[in-house]
Amino acid sequence: MRLTQRWQRLHQRWQHRTSSNGAARSLAGLPKPTANGWYAGGDYERLSRVVLTSEVSRTLFDEYQAHRASPRGDEEIGWLLLGVRSQAEAIVLASLPAGTSRDAGHSHVRFDHVAQTLAYRVLRQWDRRLKLLGVVHTHPGNLHRPSDADYQGDSEWVEQLPGQEGIFAIGTSDAPTPPNEYAGVVWHPRPHLQCWEGLRFSWYALVAGDRDYRPVPVEVHVGEDLAQPLRAVWPQLERHAGRLERLAQQLARVQFEIVQDGGAEVLCLTIPLAESNGAIRVWLEEDQVRYLLQRGDEVSVADCAESSVDRAVYLILAELAADG
Amino acid sequence: MDFRPLNDTERRQLIAALRGNADSNQAILMDRRNTSFIGSTDEVTEDEVINAIKSVPCHY
Repeated sequence: MRLTQRWQRLHQRWQHRTSSNGAARSLAGLPKPTANGWYAGGDYERLSRVVLTSEVSRTLFDEYQAHRASPRGDEEIGWLLLGVRSQAEAIVLASLPAGTSRDAGHSHVRFDHVAQTLAYRVLRQWDRRLKLLGVVHTHPGNLHRPSDADYQGDSEWVEQLPGQEGIFAIGTSDAPTPPNEYAGVVWHPRPHLQCWEGLRFSWYALVAGDRDYRPVPVEVHVGEDLAQPLRAVWPQLERHAGRLERLAQQLARVQFEIVQDGGAEVLCLTIPLAESNGAIRVWLEEDQVRYLLQRGDEVSVADCAESSVDRAVYLILAELAADG
Repeated sequence: MDFRPLNDTERRQLIAALRGNADSNQAILMDRRNTSFIGSTDEVTEDEVINAIKSVPCHY
């Protein structure tokens, strides 16, 4: 193990970012409490509307547009929706992409749940209220509502969601031409439709036991997409998702952070040690993984040639145990 | 430090949140910036959400 000034600086920057911005990020973008306070839970009613933050709405349109222009643009694509449920509203605060390892074609899409699970673990550290609310996926033609095959899976799956109800949006690329005054602006020809630049999202809800989806009005309120910071580190997150997920399950108090390093975002993992102020920090950079050992104010770099993150962490822990 | 009595609405919300916390483990939410009370919520377990994520069906 050797100490370097660069890693000391990185560590100090990381500590500063955590102490100064962590709380702000956790609360930023969340809707304010209503006059009646947050819904205290219990008896959910059927959803009367879906509320998207402005950044979630923008993310969906932007990424759908980018996907259509990509080499896989003919395939279906989709997103997971996370947020909070009030008695009769679903408030979407975060959208998770399907992932580059998704299984998709012209007529189906199955999300990469390994990367999405890890992404959810990171988001939950920022906001413990986040629940899974539903799914957005696209159709290649002009079928604006979920298909019969979608219903077969969704009707059972919604039993796991709050109120046994899920929200489902269908993206298509056949939006009607907007009135002149709405050119370039997201507009709502009907309460459950959103259209922009030729793209259209049609919003539905499905309750367990119902025989069909029903249209549900969608509104947009100013706010963040809490998952947006993860986009910058998504390649690293995907590459190591399986190994990181195992570490998160096996070791208590594992923490994930996103750190700025020379203008680039870096996904960081912290594993607290038994000794006070001690931790192993793993920096998952675009082209390499770094392992730092913190003991009090001293930070060392572990030279570890192991390519698997979880094996490297356990090797370091074993070495520390041997040092006793 | 600014202390003031709760108004009727805030008092009712706080009592409801405390009862919910005692009776059904509802989380009491605090604004980290000023420690003020901002309501309560059902806190779903991590495993419940992860199970739902892992079982998202294929869409067609």
